[in-house]
Amino acid sequence: MTATPTRWSRALSAAMLALLAAAAAGPPVQADSASFFAFSTLDAQSGEQVYRQICQGCHMPDGKGATGAGTYPSLAENHELASAQFMALTILKGRRNMPAFGAGHASGVFFATPPLSSEQVAAVINFVRTHFGNRYTDVVSVAQIEELDRSP
Amino acid sequence: MTDEPAGSAMTRRQLLSMIGSTAGGATMYQAMSSLGLAADSTFKAPSRLTGAPAGASVLVLGAGIAGMVAAYELRSAGYRVQLLEYNDRAGGRNWTVRGGDRYTEMGGMTQQCRFDPGLYINPGPWRLPYHHRGMLHYCKLLGVRLEAFVQNNNNAYLHASNAFGGKPQRFRSVKADYHGHIAELLAKAAQSKNLDAPVTLEDQQALLDSLRLWGALDKNYAYTRSLAGSERRGFDHDPGGGLSGRPVPSEPIGLGELLHSRLWEALPFCDNYDMQTSMFQPVGGMGVVGEAFGRELAPLIRYNAKVLEIRQDERGVSATFEDTAASTGRHSVRADWCVCTIPLSILGQIPMNVGRPMADAIAAVPYAAAVKVGLQFKRRFWEEDEQIYGGVTYTNLPIGNIGYPSTGYFGGGKGVLLGAYAFGLNAAEFTAMTPEERVSKAVEYGSRIHPQYPQEFDNGIAVAWHRSPFTLGCFGMWSEAARAQHYDNLCDIDGRIVLAGEHASYLPGWQEGAVTSALDAIERLHRRASAAGAAS
Repeated sequence: MTATPTRWSRALSAAMLALLAAAAAGPPVQADSASFFAFSTLDAQSGEQVYRQICQGCHMPDGKGATGAGTYPSLAENHELASAQFMALTILKGRRNMPAFGAGHASGVFFATPPLSSEQVAAVINFVRTHFGNRYTDVVSVAQIEELDRSP
Repeated sequence: MTDEPAGSAMTRRQLLSMIGSTAGGATMYQAMSSLGLAADSTFKAPSRLTGAPAGASVLVLGAGIAGMVAAYELRSAGYRVQLLEYNDRAGGRNWTVRGGDRYTEMGGMTQQCRFDPGLYINPGPWRLPYHHRGMLHYCKLLGVRLEAFVQNNNNAYLHASNAFGGKPQRFRSVKADYHGHIAELLAKAAQSKNLDAPVTLEDQQALLDSLRLWGALDKNYAYTRSLAGSERRGFDHDPGGGLSGRPVPSEPIGLGELLHSRLWEALPFCDNYDMQTSMFQPVGGMGVVGEAFGRELAPLIRYNAKVLEIRQDERGVSATFEDTAASTGRHSVRADWCVCTIPLSILGQIPMNVGRPMADAIAAVPYAAAVKVGLQFKRRFWEEDEQIYGGVTYTNLPIGNIGYPSTGYFGGGKGVLLGAYAFGLNAAEFTAMTPEERVSKAVEYGSRIHPQYPQEFDNGIAVAWHRSPFTLGCFGMWSEAARAQHYDNLCDIDGRIVLAGEHASYLPGWQEGAVTSALDAIERLHRRASAAGAAS
């Protein structure tokens, strides 16, 4: 006769409790709440830091993009950036081959890009729209980014 | 649970937190499976296409694995085949960088590889699971010699910068201790009176026997410093002969420390179907496959051809391209049918008159970031000092992996490590650096695991896949939602055009996805061409 799954799962629950008791009784440890694998988030504060650590990988240090068999668009003197909302939606939800960076859209799978915070998204938009020959004077707020990230 | 121990509120909270964090690891593997990474190959023993309609022609775009499998099989079926390739070499992401090779990434930065003769790095795919029968089939067909690829090495390290004072642990010890402690706890639970006798005595004894065996427990079902445990985790002094040969067992890592280190997250990696023994690699580098294919199909391939436009009508397909090596303006080629293997990251920018469903599918797939760094060292210290022969060390440092070469053991001389294999945020950050910075960061991080690095480092090369001019990314990153909505539309023939490549498969990033996608696509195209040929 074999035990039912229910019996075994009860045994397992007891084991989990025992395990915790043992773990709690162990030596002081360096607690690590972050996953062993790379789901960490970017610690950049300023918009320029976000750009230098992430965006310039494709859009290049001078913001002018690059061309091979295909093209990464230039952000320099870019008239499409007149709409901060367009830029925000592109970063948050991704566009074509560009992955999504919004907390509400960047998926948590192994290879996915990690989400940027709303503060980081707002900061990098405000940075790009006032650099690389762009002179837009309106500023996008963190609240606006949060609202856009919530939209489907 | 009515008879909880004292302090049960804290215990419950810990329990939930623990289940949650354990589920985090499980969720990752589930996510990897849903990405298709654990899926089987659909490759069947080659059923050769035969009987192309008289005079029928096919234009194949892209001389990577998918394009060359398609071209090879279509040619043998009797089609007139021509192939356009952006690079000046065959293979695409099937690519090996050796000493003397030059590589210019997007943005214009050029690296010259300075590895010694015979040493190499595979910036793209580097291993062939035994069940990727399509790739193995074409290797055999093309005379590409294969050798064992060591994926799982119990003597390699697991490393977390914030656990064990940053000291790397041998994979073997972490695995043995994890199993041992879990087995001991389950054994305690199995003997507990609290079980309310739900389990028969025979069941209980069988369970205890199995736990003792699995966890290397002692006669009291405890996991302790013992010879039995050290047979799994390793000894402080290995058994040997004579008076000096008395073995000294080693001390297991405590359960609490082990759990909080989270090193256990890396344990099941090699249990995944596509990482299980046996694995193979081509002798001389993965790129040998693409090179052999390129020689086989040499008369069909036009290199340095950048496709600018793809147009189809009722009678055929035309592609406009420019020759990037000669300023000879625009060229055009035409065929009855087209197999397009251009990565979606690029295809989405090329004007092509297909219907809305395929166009939407092409636009629905973002490309994953990945970065590999190859480091040449003056000596093979990982073998000489640490007895690591092949396999992979896993770390939570941004380099992700250190991969040890599966060939050239005991050879003396220099050696090349895979010094970084980064994904996600780490890959994005590595991509944003200059190639020199990537190499120097890989050396800096790696030296925390192998202190020999600074002394022995010779030179390195770094490939960030989002800077690759011929892919603009590493591979198509399908979400489950996008796949449900668009995948079939991506694969369906649109008029006279069919797409193929790893992006049109359930094996993202694997060459087997490219092979099986190409075979699936040309079989359907052949049926359509045969029907059309019979009608006209």
